[in-house]
Amino acid sequence: MEFAELIKTPRVDNVVLHRPFYPAVEGTLCLTGHHLILSSRQDNTEELWLLHSNIDSIEKRFVGSLGTIIIKCKDLRIIQLDIPGMEECLNIASSIEALSTLDSITLMYPFFYRPMFEVVEDGWHTFLPEREFELFSSVTNEWRLSYVNKDFTVCPSYPPIVTVPSCIDDEALRKVATFRHGGRFPVLSYYHKKNGMVMIRSSQPLTGTNGRRCKEDEKLINATLRAGKRGYVIDTRSLNVAQQARAKGGGFEQEAHYPQWRRIHKSIERYHILQESLIKLVEACNDQSHNMDRWLSKLEASNWLTHIKEILTTACLAAQCIDREGASVLIHGTEGTDSTLQVTSLAQIILEPRCRTIRGFEALIEREWLQAGHPFQQRCAQSAYSNSKQKWEAPVFFLFLDCVWQILRQFPCSFEFNEHFLILLFEHSYASQFGTFLGNNESERCKLKLQQKTMSLWSWVNRPSELSKFINPLFEANSLVIWPSVAPQSLQLWEGVFLRWNRSSKYLDEAYEEMTNIIEYNKELQAKVNTLRRQLAELETEDGMQESP
Amino acid sequence: MEFSELIRTGRAEAFLLPGPGQSPVRGTLCITSHHLLLSAGHGSPSDLWLLLRNVDAVEKRAAGNSGTITLKCKDLNVLQLEIEGLEETLDIAGSIEALSSLESVTTSYPFFYRPQSLKLGEAEDLHPPDHFYQQVALETNGWRLSTVNRDFNVCASYPPALVVPRGIGDEVLARSARFRQGGRFPVLCYYHSINGTVMLRSSQPLQGANRRRCAEDEELLKAALALGGGRGLVLDTRSAQAVKQARITGGGTEAKAAYSGWKRLHRPLERGRPLQDSFVRLVEACTDPSLSMDRWLSRLDGCRWLTHVKEALTIACLAAQGMDREGVCILVHGAEGTDVTLLVTSLTQLILDPKCRTLRGFQSLLEREWIQAGHPFQQRCAHSAYAQGRPKHEAPIFLLFLDCVWQLSRQFPLSLEFGEGMLLALFEHAYASPFGTFLCNSEKERYLCEVKTKTHSLWSSLNQSKERKRLCNPIYSPNPLALWPSVEPQSLQLWAGLFLRWTRPPEPAQEAWEQLWKIVTEREVADPL
Repeated sequence: MEFAELIKTPRVDNVVLHRPFYPAVEGTLCLTGHHLILSSRQDNTEELWLLHSNIDSIEKRFVGSLGTIIIKCKDLRIIQLDIPGMEECLNIASSIEALSTLDSITLMYPFFYRPMFEVVEDGWHTFLPEREFELFSSVTNEWRLSYVNKDFTVCPSYPPIVTVPSCIDDEALRKVATFRHGGRFPVLSYYHKKNGMVMIRSSQPLTGTNGRRCKEDEKLINATLRAGKRGYVIDTRSLNVAQQARAKGGGFEQEAHYPQWRRIHKSIERYHILQESLIKLVEACNDQSHNMDRWLSKLEASNWLTHIKEILTTACLAAQCIDREGASVLIHGTEGTDSTLQVTSLAQIILEPRCRTIRGFEALIEREWLQAGHPFQQRCAQSAYSNSKQKWEAPVFFLFLDCVWQILRQFPCSFEFNEHFLILLFEHSYASQFGTFLGNNESERCKLKLQQKTMSLWSWVNRPSELSKFINPLFEANSLVIWPSVAPQSLQLWEGVFLRWNRSSKYLDEAYEEMTNIIEYNKELQAKVNTLRRQLAELETEDGMQESP
Repeated sequence: MEFSELIRTGRAEAFLLPGPGQSPVRGTLCITSHHLLLSAGHGSPSDLWLLLRNVDAVEKRAAGNSGTITLKCKDLNVLQLEIEGLEETLDIAGSIEALSSLESVTTSYPFFYRPQSLKLGEAEDLHPPDHFYQQVALETNGWRLSTVNRDFNVCASYPPALVVPRGIGDEVLARSARFRQGGRFPVLCYYHSINGTVMLRSSQPLQGANRRRCAEDEELLKAALALGGGRGLVLDTRSAQAVKQARITGGGTEAKAAYSGWKRLHRPLERGRPLQDSFVRLVEACTDPSLSMDRWLSRLDGCRWLTHVKEALTIACLAAQGMDREGVCILVHGAEGTDVTLLVTSLTQLILDPKCRTLRGFQSLLEREWIQAGHPFQQRCAHSAYAQGRPKHEAPIFLLFLDCVWQLSRQFPLSLEFGEGMLLALFEHAYASPFGTFLCNSEKERYLCEVKTKTHSLWSSLNQSKERKRLCNPIYSPNPLALWPSVEPQSLQLWAGLFLRWTRPPEPAQEAWEQLWKIVTEREVADPL
C-alpha cells in the first residue's frame, strides 16, 4: 500500500494552529506518510511536527465553510486546527484518521526513520541477558541460563534466554511450560545479593477444576528455596478471581502440593478497568468547571490513585518478604505479563540501588518489561482519548511509571534520573520514532527484524548530550532499601504528566534550572578546591625537601 | 494565683512512645509553670521540652498501676506518654489541663521568657504605619498619617496611627467611625505605585433596616476614590443574602446611590465556625491511619478546606486584577473587617507587590495587615484542631492565609524569599509561642498588657542569622512582576508539610532541601560576590 493513496489533500494554506502555551499561528499544513506538519510562512520554521501514531482521536466541526479539527494526542496534549474549506478539512481529517490507525507494524515510522545523530553505542546490544546474569553469577551457582526457548517454541512471550535453577534441566522446563498459562514457566526475576533470596515470576498454573498437578513444576518451584526456607506466592488476583479462573482451566498453587509456600492474594486491577480509570482521570484533569468539590470527587471516582496504591502496596509486600522476612517470592496473576511485571519491577526499584540509576533503570525496563513479554503493542495502541472500545488497551506500563514517580517524589535524592526521563518513556511507549516499544514480545520483534530495521531508543537517549537532560542533580547513591509510604495521604497526582498541557510549568522549570545551575557550579568549585589543595600539598612537600639537608 | 497551686504532681517517671519523627525517651517528667520537660538525664539531645500552651487536648487512660497520657498539640503533633503510678498519671494530666488553658495574658510564658541572645526593649521596631506611610508619601502626597486613634478611643481594634486621604480631617474620621462596626472606618492598606490605584479596608457600614447614611463616611470614600483614579469596587466578602440579614441586626453594606463611583461585588468567603470545623475535619482525615484511597479523597473533599483555599485565592486575584489591569480602587470588608477582610488584603499585596515577598517585607506585611490591623489572634488561635468542647471564637483564618501563601510559593518557587519553614514557624507561633508578637487581640490590648516592653518580639528572633537557613528559600530571585496564581482546583494541593508533618516523616524531602542549602551556603562562602 502506498501512503499517497491515503493522503487526498497533502497541503493546505492558511491553516490556524491553536495549542497549549503558544499564541495561535497561521501557516501551511502538510501531511506526509508519518507526520502532520504545520509551518508558518513567515520564517520557514516548522511550528508543529506531529507523528500520526501519536494521535489518539480526532473531532471535526464546521462553522460555515470553516472547518475545525481537534486532535487529541496519546501524550494527552490537545491541539486545534482551523482549516478553510470544507472539502480540504474533510480530506485532512480522513487522512489523519487513516494514517494514525495503520494496521501494519512495518509501515510504522520507526521503519522509515533515519537518525541524524551518530550512534555511539547500539542500544539493541546494550542490555544482554548474559551480562545481567554475570552480575550475580559470581556469588552463587544456584542459577543457570537456559536456552530452551531459543526458537520461541516453549513460550512465545518469553525471550530466548531465561534464568532458572541450576538443578532443573531443559526437559523439565518444557514440561512445566505445558502446566503454565501461555507456557510462562517460573523464571528468575531478581536475585537479592544481601541474603540470597530471590523473586521469581510466572503465569498461573493450569490446575483447572479437578486440581491437576505437575511434579516438575513443584520441583522447579521448590528448587528456588534454600534448605529449610519458606517462600511466599503473591497472587496479584483476589482469592475470588483466582478461584473463578479454575473454571477456565487456570488456578493457583494448592498448599497441599507446595507445602513450603504460603499464598497471599492481592487484587490489582487489569485491562479495561485500568483503561477506563485513565480515561476518567484525564477527563477530570481537563475539566474546566473550576469547582473544587467536583474535581476531588472526579479524581476519587477515577480510582487511578487507588490502583497506584494497590500496585505499590503489593510491590512493598514482595520486597518486605525478601528483605525483612528472608523469604523468596513467586509472583503471578493470570498471564503473568501485566500486574506481575508491575510488582516485580517496582520491588526491584525498592530493593536494588542499581535499578535507581539511569543504566540500571533502562536495564530493568529491558529485562522486566520488553524481554519479559509485556504486550506493548496491544496495551499502548490507544491512550486516554480513544472512543473505540477495544479490548487490549490498558495503561499498565503507564501505571508503573506513575508508581516510580511516586517513589522518586518521596526519595528525591535516591534516583539518578529525573521526572523528565519517566515522561519520555511514557511518550515513547505510546508513539515513537524508535523501534524499542514495537511488538508484543521478543518473538514478534525478532520476526520484524527490529534490530536491523529500526533504531533503539537507548541508542539515542544514552548519548551524553541527550542523557544530561535526564540527570537528577540531587542524586546521591543510596545503597539502602527504600520503603515508600503507601498511605493514601502520601500519594499524589502526577502533575507533570496529567496537568502538563493544562498549565504552564514555566516557573517550576525555572526553579529546577536554577537548582541545577547551583549544583553544577558547586561541583566546579569543589573541583577547583581539590586542585588547589593538591598544589598546596605539593608545595609543602617541596618546601620540606628543600629544608631538609 | 500561684502556678504551684495548679501543679498537683510535679514529677514522675515516664516513657515517651516513639512516633513518626519522634524518638522514644525514658526518664523523669517535670511539670513547671509553663513547660513539660521529659529528660533522660545528662541533657541528652532527645529531651522533650514542650510549651504547655501548645497542648490542645489531653487524653488519659489508666491500665493497672500505670497510665497513658496522650497530648494533642496545637502544632498538630501527637505525643504519647506512659507514666508510672495511677495517681501520678491523673495528677499530671490534671495539671497539664489546668496550666495549658490559663487565660491570663500577663502570666503567660512570653512574660517570663528571657533568652540570652535578645535584650528586652531592643527589638527593632518595624513601625508599620509610619513606615508604610513613608513609602506611600514617596509616591504621592494625597494621603496623610492620622493619629485620631492615639488613645484607641475612635476604634478599639485599630492601631494609633492610620493612613487616610489628606483632605479628610480627624473629626470626619471620628464620625465615619461611628457609622462602621467596631469603629473600623475605611483606611488605606495598599498603594499600587504602578498606576496609583489604592486598596482600602474597613468593617461594614451600620446601615440598619432603615438604610441609614453617613455623610462623612461618603465624603471619606469619595476623597479616596478621587485620589485613586475615580473608579471603585466594594468587595463584600459576604453573600447578598448574608448582607440582608446583617441589616436586620444593624449592619449592611454601601448603597450604590450613596457612594457614586463605587460598584459593589459580593464574593462570599467562609469564616468562623464552619472554617474551624473544616480544619478539624481535615486534620481528622490526615491523621486517620486506616483509610482507603477512596475514603481519603472523599474526606478531603468533604472537609472543604481546599475549597476555602481556592475561594480565598480567587478573591485576592480578583482584587489584584481590578487594581493592576483595570485601574480600579478596591474597598474590602465583610462584617467586622478583622478576619477574611485581612486575608484578602494581605494576599492581594503578595500578588501585586514584590516588596512583600522578601523576608522583611513579609514580616512587615504580617505586622501591618494582621497584628496591627486587629486580627483577634488570642480568640482565633485559642485552640487548634484537637480541642474538645464547643469552639467559641476559634477560626483558622491566619492558617488559611499561610496555606494560600504556600500555594503561591509552590507555583512560583523562585519568587518568595522565605520558604515553607517560615510559614510553619508562623503557624506554630500564632498558636503557642515564647514570644509576645501574637499575644492579645489588638494593639490596644497589647498596650494595656505592656507586651512590647515585657516580652520579646518573634521578628527579632527570626532575624537572627542562625534562623535564616530554616526560613529562607535558597533559590530566591526577585521577581518584579505580579504573581498570578492558577486557582483551578487541579492546581491546588494539600499542604503536606503542615498537615501531614507528624504522620508522614518528611525526611527524604527534608534531606534534599538541606542538601540544596548546604550547597548554596558553600557557594556563598567560596564566592563572596
